[in-house]
Amino acid sequence: MSTHDLIVPAAAAAARPWRERLGTMVPILVLAPSIAASFIYVFVFTLWTLYISLSNSSLLPTYGFVGLDNYASLWANRRWNIAYTNLFLFSGFYIVGSMAVGLLLAIAIDQRVRGEAAWRTIFLYPLAVSFIVTGTVWSWLYNPVDGIQAFVRGLGWTDFSFALTANRNTAIYAVIITVIWQSSGFAMALFLAGLRSVDPDLVKAAQIDGASVFRTYRRVILPTIAPIFLAVAVIQIQFAIKTFDLVAALTRGGPGVSTTFPAIYVYDLMFQRGQIGEGAAAAMMMLAAVAVVLVPYSLWIVWRRRAEGRNG
Amino acid sequence: MAEIAPDASFDPARPNPTGFDPEAAAATRRHFWSRFLVYAVLTLFAIVYLVPLLVVIFNSLREQSEIARNGLISVPRSFRFDAWAQAWGSYCVSGTCEGMKRNFFNSLAMTIPATIISTILGAMNGYILSKWRFRGSELIFNLMLLGVFMPGQISLMPWAFLLGKLGLTNSTYGLVLIHVVQGISFTTLFCRNFYVSIPDDLIKAARIDGAGFWRIFRKIILPLSPPILIVTVIWQFTGIWNEYLFGVVFTSGQQQPITAALVALTAGGTTARAYDVMSAAVLIGALPPLLIYLFGGKYFVRGLTQGAIK
Amino acid sequence: MKYLRTAFAAATAFTLITGTALAEPKTNLLHQWATGSDAQAIAKLGEMFTAKGGTWQQTSIAGHTANTLAKLRADVIAGNAPPAVQLKGPEIAEWNETGMTANLDDLAKAENWEKVVAPELLPVMKPTGNWVAAPMNIHRINWLWASPKVMKDAGVTEMPKTWAEFNAACDKIVASGKICISHSTADWTDSTVFEVVVYGQDLDLYKKAFVEGDVDAMRSDGMVKAFEQFRTMTSKYMDPGMNGRDWDTMSHLVGRGEAAFHIMGDWTIGLLTAGGFKEGTDYVCAQAPTDWGKPGFILNSDSVVFFKQKDPDYIEGQKLLASIILSPEFQTIFNQTKGSIPARLDVDLSNGFNPCQQLSQKDLQASIAAGTLVRSMAHNMTVPQKVRGAIMDSITEFVATPDMSAQDAANAMADAAEAQK
Repeated sequence: MSTHDLIVPAAAAAARPWRERLGTMVPILVLAPSIAASFIYVFVFTLWTLYISLSNSSLLPTYGFVGLDNYASLWANRRWNIAYTNLFLFSGFYIVGSMAVGLLLAIAIDQRVRGEAAWRTIFLYPLAVSFIVTGTVWSWLYNPVDGIQAFVRGLGWTDFSFALTANRNTAIYAVIITVIWQSSGFAMALFLAGLRSVDPDLVKAAQIDGASVFRTYRRVILPTIAPIFLAVAVIQIQFAIKTFDLVAALTRGGPGVSTTFPAIYVYDLMFQRGQIGEGAAAAMMMLAAVAVVLVPYSLWIVWRRRAEGRNG
Repeated sequence: MAEIAPDASFDPARPNPTGFDPEAAAATRRHFWSRFLVYAVLTLFAIVYLVPLLVVIFNSLREQSEIARNGLISVPRSFRFDAWAQAWGSYCVSGTCEGMKRNFFNSLAMTIPATIISTILGAMNGYILSKWRFRGSELIFNLMLLGVFMPGQISLMPWAFLLGKLGLTNSTYGLVLIHVVQGISFTTLFCRNFYVSIPDDLIKAARIDGAGFWRIFRKIILPLSPPILIVTVIWQFTGIWNEYLFGVVFTSGQQQPITAALVALTAGGTTARAYDVMSAAVLIGALPPLLIYLFGGKYFVRGLTQGAIK
Repeated sequence: MKYLRTAFAAATAFTLITGTALAEPKTNLLHQWATGSDAQAIAKLGEMFTAKGGTWQQTSIAGHTANTLAKLRADVIAGNAPPAVQLKGPEIAEWNETGMTANLDDLAKAENWEKVVAPELLPVMKPTGNWVAAPMNIHRINWLWASPKVMKDAGVTEMPKTWAEFNAACDKIVASGKICISHSTADWTDSTVFEVVVYGQDLDLYKKAFVEGDVDAMRSDGMVKAFEQFRTMTSKYMDPGMNGRDWDTMSHLVGRGEAAFHIMGDWTIGLLTAGGFKEGTDYVCAQAPTDWGKPGFILNSDSVVFFKQKDPDYIEGQKLLASIILSPEFQTIFNQTKGSIPARLDVDLSNGFNPCQQLSQKDLQASIAAGTLVRSMAHNMTVPQKVRGAIMDSITEFVATPDMSAQDAANAMADAAEAQK
């Protein structure tokens, strides 16, 4: 990276006229408010939450130290275990599902279809709609009395059953279907752009070799857009961990506590039940989940950069 | 730079131009079926994607009594705009009967400044972190990046404390501040990744010509920026407009943004649910980001691949 | 010049004096009654406050109760606690402990609240001896709502008085092809029905487990027996539609003659009235079954808590608001709309109240005399929120998990509650 050449050694800077020295300060001055804001937002807020998670806070934050009590009580709680299990189940289906649908749609649109812009808009629009609206509308559709089930029965198929949100074992899939509906357009957009950036000569060469369409995609095109898969996964996983609005509007965590998610649980503990200490502990566990994803990803990025550095 | 690569798709089977032969006929047949398959897949998914929207649009135009009789999913047999008028100006939520219009304008008053400020900051940060690197700038970039992953629930109480100290509780300014700070991570990430791909030689040449920090930004960076600025604006606008948690906790009554009002409206009460008014309200709440996607979607997809994923 | 300065000083002093002397009462009530008859009832309070010369503001937060509490906590942390908040039960004591609540003793003494408010409410409203909250009403939880038509068609001649009679009636009703219990599952609705079952079977168990939060009582055989009865009800007498139904329309099944019974608090009156159903013909009410043959009453009460303020206008507003809330006029208007009965025992219900409400007041007095009056766990009048949350989680899990045994449920409840100690 040649930008490093732009760094002015401090000693040389001191010898220059003040105007120029001020000039070298400008970038840092401009950046300073953002650095300060991000520092407070990321570190101070997190450290504060960490401290609260080790305190005996109940109704309001207090600062009596109790060690890991809150964490022990958290992991002893059945509902928290359900929430954490849900998160993994949900993230897995969500990421694989929306990538599969997104890829399928991207490949279909990539076949020189007519009205490409219209198709793209149709698949992308749910992304613009808030989780609150999405959750509300889909809860109407899932409602067995008013929604899809009633509609199909009205058509004459009288024992048709579609009541995902009514059963504790299937409600989580209702959330998954909804989130895939909401976000596969995003995956599609990224994949489509990736497909468009594949070197056409590469594709031609594969075709001349007599490779089938399927084979061309599998062997030539998809491997070249592999980084996009990873990018989509990382973006979606952070959405998955933060999932709150959607579930709040769609199932409110029910039936029973079957669709409780960590973010909902944190909110419940901190605000409804007045257990700020344990709520903070749960929030720290959410951060831990983020770290489980983020740390390997950043290591991979660093490794890739190094490798590129060596090769280039 | 803004041009994407020419259409890289390929024809799976090209009919033989040299006249009829059995193989070519088979190829044409295959071609037909593969085209059919492509459109079938697209149509099927398009239906699934559009049904919820159509259901809501239809219900906003149907009479409540007809919805109650025929269920939620049905073609309108009645047609009127009353529900829209009610949802906009006269439906009773949270003790006032003024519909959603005030909340709608609250949301605008929050979203527009927060989007503009966070985008400007993101552009400046991205410019510095890609073109004016200094010792530790990578570290700072990574620090800002962490903000992307912060769950909102963690920051709720610290924000309450901070807003109280700043005297910004229950005001749109407080929400603007929150969304700017939380948005910096995203906007900086987008812009930085985009600016990295601008050749450094361009900047170097300008510096040799005596151009400074601001001049380079104005004359070189800014003219190249529209694709990424569009992405950033769309991302921020929809994100902030759709945000719920902070809106409901840090404002009240007349100050609440539209998402909070929507939840109040759809939470239902002791009377039967007015699906017609709720549908209209949902559409009013979703309209601005929808319009933005409708008109900016093309640029969004294009810019995203140049900036966000690297 | 000198004259001008004196005049200016005098003017400033004047405004200062009049400003404090004529504190204009104003308030901002934080509550969660955003829609329907709840919102209408609270609007009445606003009208009366304005009529008495106050400046009325309200912050209503719909949806999840957590939203209201999150808002309250955020305001308190930010250093501007709201002047008046709708809070109930143990939350009043919890906030009282923070030392942030205002003291209403002077007003209470002047208006003689001690004598007129239902005795069961006193420890809730004055957790450490000082009045910090004003009660708005008394809700009764242990109600059995019934469709006379469905009962008659199935050959059930009178309202079941014990759980055995109830089960016998339900068997007949299910055989006649109707739903016996109309229900809509959610943590608080499941818990409402369950606490009525526990209360009806064993009064002492209810007091130990749900009022005192005693973990051994939750693990006891009595609790297992209650869960067994509850399982019979959820699996045989409730219909599968309970999963998709909205809570606010479940009582309509009784009104429309599709279900025989409904177990829910007295706000059901408001819901049935809104649906156009008439007491006596479309529905009737009776005390929910008890196996110990005395009048019983599970009580729930809404109240407003006041937080310390600096602005004299708000302090003045708190006094005015509390005084209005405790006034017989407000207690009458508010409760006629809401289905509950006044928190004051000296209000005459013979005019404008539903017969069920009149019965409620009579049973309240009788249960006080019989020593059977209890506060509601499901409606947050007894144990702390965290214990209540744990209990309710286990109850709603039991409903959502048809193959969970009664013994497992009782153990799960005890374990969950124990973890919160």
